[in-house]
Formats: sequence, C-alpha cells, structure tokens
Amino acid sequence: MRWLQTARGWLDDLQRSWHRPHSSPPVARGAVSTPLSYGPLERVLLTDGVGRTLFEEFDTHRQEARGEEETGWLLLGLREAREAVVVATLPAGTLRDASVAHVRFNSNAQVLASRIVRQTDRRLTTLGVVHTHPGSLRHPSDGDLRGDGQWVANLRGREGVFGIGTADGVPTSSDLFAYQPRPHVQCLKGLRFSWYALHQGDSGYRPLPVELTIGPDLARSLHGIWSTLEFHAERIERLYRQQSGLRFEVVADEWGPGLLLTLPLADLGDSLRVLIRPKEVRYYVLRSGELLEVHHHDEWVDRGVYLLLAELAARA
Amino acid sequence: MDFRPLNDTERRQLINALRGNAESDRAILMDRRDTSFLGTADEVPDEEVISAIKSVPCHY
Repeated sequence: MRWLQTARGWLDDLQRSWHRPHSSPPVARGAVSTPLSYGPLERVLLTDGVGRTLFEEFDTHRQEARGEEETGWLLLGLREAREAVVVATLPAGTLRDASVAHVRFNSNAQVLASRIVRQTDRRLTTLGVVHTHPGSLRHPSDGDLRGDGQWVANLRGREGVFGIGTADGVPTSSDLFAYQPRPHVQCLKGLRFSWYALHQGDSGYRPLPVELTIGPDLARSLHGIWSTLEFHAERIERLYRQQSGLRFEVVADEWGPGLLLTLPLADLGDSLRVLIRPKEVRYYVLRSGELLEVHHHDEWVDRGVYLLLAELAARA
Repeated sequence: MDFRPLNDTERRQLINALRGNAESDRAILMDRRDTSFLGTADEVPDEEVISAIKSVPCHY
C-alpha cells in the first residue's frame, strides 16, 4: 500500500458540493415535546417532500420492468401525542422480495438509511409503512392485518400509520395538483394513496386523515444511491456497530452521487474516509489537514477500513 | 477521558438539550461511566428503531 498523492483540491471541491444531511431546525419554544402517553392518532402529517416522493416514485415504479409488482416505503418521523409527522421515506429496495401479490422490504438498507437520517435528529422513529396494490384494492388486506396487528407493538403508542397506493384513477388534464376526495385520501394523475391507522388489538384499520406541511424528505438524497446502499449495507452496518464515531454524508460531484464515511482517528482532526460510489470504493486519510488518497480499492468496506487501520498502526 | 471539542451536530444536540431542560424540565441523559452527554429523554434509541425496521412484516 502506498500513498498516492495529496488531494487537497479534491477535498475542497467535494466539500463545496456535499449534500449535507438536513439539520434539525432550532427547537422553538414549546413547539416540540415528548408526550408521556400517546393517544389514538387523529391525523398523519406529511411533509411536501414526502408527498412528492411517494407520488413520483410510485409513478416511476409503474414504468419499470418490475412495475406490476407491489412496492413500498418505510416511514420515519415524529410521533406526537395524537399525530404522526412523516419526514423521511425509506424505499423497499431493488433487493425486495415482491410479486403482484406481496412485498417484503430489504431491511438491511433501511436500517443503514435510518442511521444516516437519524444522525441529525434522534427523535425520529418508525411510524409505519406504505405499500402499493396493483389492482384497485384501496384498503389493507386481511394478510396485512395479521402482520401489522403484531408489528405495531414495536411502535410508539403501539399504533402505526399505513398507506395504500393504487393506480386505479383516471388522469385528467386538470391534474395540476393533488386533491383529497376524502380526508384520508390523496389523488394525483391517476395515482391514489389511502391512509389508515392500526392500534395493537384493533380488529381492523381505521381511515386516518392526511394533511400536508412544508418540509423535506430527509432520506430523498439517499434514494439516488439506494442500490449502492443495499450492496454495502451489511458491511457498513457491521463497521458502524464496531466503530463509534463513524459518520455518514451523501455527496455529489461530476462523477455522480456517493456515500462518504468518516471515521475519526486518534489525533484531533485526523480521519479515515471512504467514498462509496456505485462502481468503486475509494479510501482517503486526512492527517494534519492534508488529504491523502490511498491506493487501496477493497470492495468490502469493513475489510478495507481495517486493513488501512492496520497499515496506519504499523507506520505509527 | 475524551476532551475533544464537540462537532457541529453534537453541539447542536447539547444546546437543544439544555434549552429543553431549562424551558420544559426535559431530562438530560448522562453516561454513568464517564458523565458524558448522552442525549435527552425524547430521543428514540437506535435499537427501538432498528428492531421495528427489521420486523416489518410481508405486505399483501
């Protein structure tokens, strides 16, 4: 292994183009509080970013080769006393197990994505699931009820938010914006999302009014590299659990998007960096303010990091 | 003991925690081993989130 070159310019260019994770807005006086007890959900509040993701990606999904299959998203956000605020969507993934009659998410990438999204706001929690039906069933199925009825025990308030996407509407030329024919239904260009809540012990889902507010989909920048996340998720997750202080950032430059891992080294300000793109993994060391690229392209991220740490230890 | 300066995220979290404690009596959590800042009571543990993600059932 040898040091190739300093890459100060590369670092500067990249830092200018980094898509830093959205930071939490300052906590307004009295605006945020954690209730000691959760009441039944009275509404689900989506950010406009989340609403756009759902309609856009459902539309894109239907045009793909696997467009006849079911798909879905996991929802992250804030659980307030009587409402759920959805601020991030984690896709089912290309490695999902799906058909026209079922979908099982690839949870490895979703776990990693949840760690990345929650770096800046650890109040975010799992709120529920959206999945699609190829036909016109706008309500969760009996099979959904059996699984969700047990799963909601894992959620705050023992209650979850569930969305069903269908494409049984008729697009019209006047579809300039989404509309709500009923409080729990959103429609746009022939697509429809119907929202429900389910509490542990309930015999069925109940319609849940949906409303929009302005805000981001905190996970949207990850969607562009989702298949890369899926490929590396297990090894990055292992590394994260072993190395405290590991941080993530989504980056983008003329070579496309990527995920940057930063692992602090012993000396203040020094770090080991791994840039993961769809077709390559690059390793860097930041020492005394100087960025060094390492000729070392181990595809397995955890192994690459430990080999590099061993090399640094040998040189110390 | 680690005396390094806080990074931006940690500093923001600490400020929010102090504000929540002063204004809303929200508890600030402390690591029993070294008294370092561990967050606030309204944070959701990683394990809770990840357990929920891993147990999402098949949907039909």
